[in-house]
Amino acid sequence: MRLIVDFAQEDIKLLQKEILRSQGIPDKAELSENFEKIYGEAIKLFQELAKPKGIITGVTISRFEEVFRGEGLNEKENPVEEIYRKSSYIALFAVTLGSVLSEKVTELFDNGDYADGYMLDSVSSYAADKLTYLAAKHLQSEIADKETPTSSQRVLCYCPGYCGWHISGQKKLFEALRPEEIGITLNESCLMSPIKSVSGVLIAGPGKIHEFVNSYPFCNTCTARTCIKRMQNLKQG
Amino acid sequence: MELLSQISFNLQNGFDETVAALTKEAVEKQIPPDEILNNGLIAGMNAVGEKFKNHEVFLPDVLLAARAMNSAMEVLKPLLIKGGIPIKGKVVIGSVKDDLHDIGKNLVAILLKGAGFEVIDLGNDVPAEKFIRIASEENADVIGMSALLTTTMPVMKEVVDMAKTEGLYGRVRIMVGGAPVSKEYALEIGADAYSYDGANAVETVESFFSKDS
Repeated sequence: MRLIVDFAQEDIKLLQKEILRSQGIPDKAELSENFEKIYGEAIKLFQELAKPKGIITGVTISRFEEVFRGEGLNEKENPVEEIYRKSSYIALFAVTLGSVLSEKVTELFDNGDYADGYMLDSVSSYAADKLTYLAAKHLQSEIADKETPTSSQRVLCYCPGYCGWHISGQKKLFEALRPEEIGITLNESCLMSPIKSVSGVLIAGPGKIHEFVNSYPFCNTCTARTCIKRMQNLKQG
Repeated sequence: MELLSQISFNLQNGFDETVAALTKEAVEKQIPPDEILNNGLIAGMNAVGEKFKNHEVFLPDVLLAARAMNSAMEVLKPLLIKGGIPIKGKVVIGSVKDDLHDIGKNLVAILLKGAGFEVIDLGNDVPAEKFIRIASEENADVIGMSALLTTTMPVMKEVVDMAKTEGLYGRVRIMVGGAPVSKEYALEIGADAYSYDGANAVETVESFFSKDS
């Protein structure tokens, strides 16, 4: 299976509370008039400029094993290795919001419109993260229809740079996925362009396979900590 | 409200055009430029910084104030230079080689400018030798480096090592920051400080100068 998906922009739900939380702003904070105006303008710009797109390619467990091994720099013990071995379906993926958004953020900063630039960047980062959920949802519906007709399948994503999967794993991931087809490229430092892109693996299987105890040595220095919320969501069904 | 308080008030509210106009008015009224800077602009930025710490305003509000500060500095800077009024300190800043993330670095640069420092922003993808060359040519006080990837962090050590061989180490303070960077990493590579965000970066640079005085 190899899919190129044009996501509908309105499917990326931009929740103000969550976006502000990602900026460290408490839920009950009183926002200035200026702040509200900047936020509104950033949303408008996002809606004008974002072009959400994704690529999803199914792979076998043994093929993924090669991809995951990457440059041999992964943590010796990591949750991804435990999870993918129990999966029922694996797909490599990459999603992007397109290059125009990042260019606009740079333009705003260059023109001295720092607050607008910062807010658009923040909204875009949040949206890129949400886009991975849309990719997971898309795969879930694909495999439910065609390959594993069970409603208990849960699809979650894991990305190089997190959970013990070394960032250099991007190289093998890109070789196997070839997301250049939708305009995503990788530089020597494993940084993707456009910047507002996410790549990794979508792993399908019963919800239980995605549960792990986040007490690996690298968990102490992890700033994302998204596993906590994801595992909570799994338990809530 | 006296003119300098008006400047401070309007700066706190991010009214850049008004701040620039009031700064021109203050210059025309023969108020010394350093007094406009310290008692109008920096006083305003300090007030915003305090509100930011107390969660009364948030980063976009601080950035609006910083823009207002910059618009006033365009009026004031030639007069400060002409009057030989010393700047607070000079910071060379950039995202390290192969790292194209620059939002965090931009925020630090903006906030440092807002706090009255001269900032030379080298942009992103900056090789180690460029940090050293520019810091040396510009007689900078601080080098600030940002990295968002574990793969680009080693460039920070290259800069520290090069500062040692070029005789800048100790004279030029080195500050590092970015998502994968930590206080421990800063210590390990021999940097002078680690900053976890823009406001903390300003405090850190301020602390270099208070230690030096």
